[in-house]
Amino acid sequence: MNRGGARGPAPAMMALSVLLLLAGVWVRGIQVRLPPAPADRLQSGPRIAEPMQLLSRGAAHRYPELGDWVSEGARARWRTASAFAFELAGCPPLKTWLDGRDGQRIERLLADLRAGTREDAFAALVVIFQLARSTEWRPGVGGRAEHAEALGGLLADWLRGRAEGGADDALLHEPALAAALLYGRAMHVAWNAPLVGYNTASFERARGVLATLCGVGRRERTAFGRELAARYGRVFAALDATEPARFFAPFRAECELLFPELDGACSR
Amino acid sequence: MSAAAGRPTDGAGESSLALACVMIAAGGLLLGMQIDGNGRLAGAGYAPLALGGLVALVASLVQLGRKGRLPRGPLTATSAAMSFFGITFLVGGVLVPGGSWMFWELVVLLWVLSRRRAREQFAGPEVGGAGLSLLGLMLVFRIWLTWQASRHSWQLFTVDVPLVARLPFAWIDSMRTLTVGAFSQQEMGFPPTGIDFPVTVSLWSAGFALCAVGLWMRGHAAREVEIERVHALIQVLPPQAALVVERLVPEAEWEALGFFGLPERRLARRIEGVVAERVQRQMQLEGALRSVRLLPPADAPGFPAGIRKALAEYRGEEEEA
Repeated sequence: MNRGGARGPAPAMMALSVLLLLAGVWVRGIQVRLPPAPADRLQSGPRIAEPMQLLSRGAAHRYPELGDWVSEGARARWRTASAFAFELAGCPPLKTWLDGRDGQRIERLLADLRAGTREDAFAALVVIFQLARSTEWRPGVGGRAEHAEALGGLLADWLRGRAEGGADDALLHEPALAAALLYGRAMHVAWNAPLVGYNTASFERARGVLATLCGVGRRERTAFGRELAARYGRVFAALDATEPARFFAPFRAECELLFPELDGACSR
Repeated sequence: MSAAAGRPTDGAGESSLALACVMIAAGGLLLGMQIDGNGRLAGAGYAPLALGGLVALVASLVQLGRKGRLPRGPLTATSAAMSFFGITFLVGGVLVPGGSWMFWELVVLLWVLSRRRAREQFAGPEVGGAGLSLLGLMLVFRIWLTWQASRHSWQLFTVDVPLVARLPFAWIDSMRTLTVGAFSQQEMGFPPTGIDFPVTVSLWSAGFALCAVGLWMRGHAAREVEIERVHALIQVLPPQAALVVERLVPEAEWEALGFFGLPERRLARRIEGVVAERVQRQMQLEGALRSVRLLPPADAPGFPAGIRKALAEYRGEEEEA
């Protein structure tokens, strides 16, 4: 007669259930903390201080110091070309200016810098942001999207080359995220450019570029996608959106907060 | 021979009980997990577990207060504890992790789970069908909130404002929709990198199913263990006597007669008492049957004739015997 003692596999199973119970309590305490941003980690050696200043309106005060950081082979061209961008006056339409002689020189310089060192890549981004600030890329009454598309193209090229590597880089981490925000903002302007209807192609292109960069729809996010999700969760969540308005809205909102002057209307 | 007389007492009930406990514990483990946006494991936090424990404690005390019994051996004690933790895990798994939602849910769950049970609680607290259904609905609500939050949409839902929603001006974007039931990331207890919705919800659903089925199965298995125990005690008697006892006190009545959960000695006394009482009743009935006068004529129609015929048949059988 069984007098309360367990037989067969029951004791072992009971012991297993107690272990699982303890694991169930323990697992609830696991906390995932946001890793410190690469820029916040202690760094040794010389570095470009406060790189985001060089992407903001005040970049004009500091851009000459980048000449010391750019690779020697590109330094002379950088000094000349950056002066074009930072001394650009008259708010020309971006695409029109890029098609000119100075614009072509800058495009060639940007291509070289993108492929260079991290400081070179950063210098390229500084020039792109300055162009976005000193040229006109709003569609205007003609509903022309090519200027915003041109800015989007410059940013997309930079992001494709440097965003993933820059996700864990103290210098490029924040600038790369800012570049993605401005890219979304520029492509929103391009999508919204026509007087009647929308440029669906701009939306599709933006979604494709950002989805590839962030690893959306893949098994694992990319390092850049992880950083974008950690710092700009609303923007990252919008990458899944199928409606263009929902897709672009967080880019526009974040960009208006960070770079209010970068709206396509030349601030000079 | 009754069905119970042929029942093997090979510990099948104990195995079922242990399996149910494993299911409850495994379900609790899954309900405590969430996968963050980067695919890392994160805990669901202790606050919902603590509130689940509170609900389970109140439910246990109320359920056991009137008709409860303390567990007898290590197996039933572990099983009763697992039942308590199963309710804790279930409630902790379906509660919204924070904010005013959580307290409303808590009130409703306390009210539903703490009602007294009709049956005797000999093996720890139980959750009935209504309770499990309510918990299931709350899980669906939590999954909905999690879905919204995974899209960084921090409200239950939005309603388009008629006409305004259709106007093509960007500056009225904030007026296009009305927000219903806003909440925050902190309330949801999300990891900082967000949540992997499909994987996390799969874990929670599997955990809920395991826990709920485990609790249901544990109740049945606990009864099975008690049936095996009572049967084993009756089998101590000589086979003919055991057969008579099992006929006098059928297995289906054992729970209602309060056999389950009693210590060995008290169980034996209770069985003795019930057998004595039923034998006494049987003798009184037989005496009454023998002495009753068969007044209505045999050929009278309807109910009196039917009763007379049955009594006459009994007497005839008795005389033949």
